[in-house]
Amino acid sequence: MLKPSLLAFALCGIVAAGPCMAHAKLQSSSPADNAHLTEAPKTLTLKFSEAAQLAVLKLVRDGKEIPVPLDKAAKASQTFTLTLPALSPGNYTVQWSAVAADDGHVTKGSFVFSITA
Amino acid sequence: MEISGWDVAAVFAKAVTYAATFGAAGAVFFALYCGTLLLDAQHGLIRRLIAIQLGVAAAAGILRVLLLAASMSGEMSGMFDTAFARMILHAGEGRASGVRLAGLALMLFAWSKNRAFRGPAMIGAIVASTSFAWVGHIHGLVPNTAPSMLMCLHLLCAAFWLGALPPLLIVTGGGNGPQIAAAAARFGKLASRVVALLIAAGASLLFILIGSAAQFWSSDYGRMMTIKLLAVAALLGLAARNKLVLTPRLLQGAARAALEFRRSVLAEMTLGALILLITAAFTTLTGPP
Repeated sequence: MLKPSLLAFALCGIVAAGPCMAHAKLQSSSPADNAHLTEAPKTLTLKFSEAAQLAVLKLVRDGKEIPVPLDKAAKASQTFTLTLPALSPGNYTVQWSAVAADDGHVTKGSFVFSITA
Repeated sequence: MEISGWDVAAVFAKAVTYAATFGAAGAVFFALYCGTLLLDAQHGLIRRLIAIQLGVAAAAGILRVLLLAASMSGEMSGMFDTAFARMILHAGEGRASGVRLAGLALMLFAWSKNRAFRGPAMIGAIVASTSFAWVGHIHGLVPNTAPSMLMCLHLLCAAFWLGALPPLLIVTGGGNGPQIAAAAARFGKLASRVVALLIAAGASLLFILIGSAAQFWSSDYGRMMTIKLLAVAALLGLAARNKLVLTPRLLQGAARAALEFRRSVLAEMTLGALILLITAAFTTLTGPP
């Protein structure tokens, strides 16, 4: 009795389940990874594969961190747009970490862009 | 994904949380299922084992949240930043940890010799061992009711099987031949059905999460799952040897059978710990393809 009912239940589970979401991955950013800009961007936008909370965002130039205001209490979202301070020409690294809203997993990564005079 | 020392520490903390929670829950199940076969001294040791594992499970769960916060920030100071801890707890870890702590608290009733407290301890064991289903990839599915129930079944069976191994080791250490044989036979009788359920639920979950066989070698998640499945196959081989070879020899009173059974249980525990570590790694560091 047990095995057929379990099999039926398992099949229901497989059929009923929708696509499984992976961890919140960075889908795109503006400025994009490896972008060479001729003008300093006013904002930084990160777009994730699923709703997440942006926990850390560090903007680094020549080993020095440039403060970017981040609201850690903001609601989970797929897209985050942050206002940047006035940036001078140079090479920049953006380091980020986020928590996926539905599965609670932490993801992190980094990308670079440059501004030429 | 970049993996830091904090990530590695968080993986170990998760593995310890799994092991201690399943260990406490499995010991409660074992004490109820095989209790009439146990000596008073063995009952006492198993109660002490449950108490220790309850404390370890609670502490490791809290430590894991702190280590994840440090992993997010990349610095130790992140452990003490309440904003990070709040993000992790709000994203589902808080719900799972709360359910687990409630279950662990109920399992404290297992400390009592009063039979009336067995029910709450049993409920606590079920609640704590299934608490891991309240967060994670399966919980993130839409809809998630049936897959979550499959995950609960998988977790319960894992707790019954892996968590019963330390109490079984206690029995082999202090019991006489016929008592060890009786406990091994009774445990093995139910364990074979539990393992069948564990595999059925696990295979269903695997199909939901991975879907295609090619993902087993083309994705990090699939490759780590493959390693886990190989370890599970080895564990099943040991369990089959226990049930089909060593338990009949124990029942016949064969010389050295108890010692061989004890060694086999120890090997099962080692493989079980490895499986939990692999599971903690791929559920923390990677996601389904």
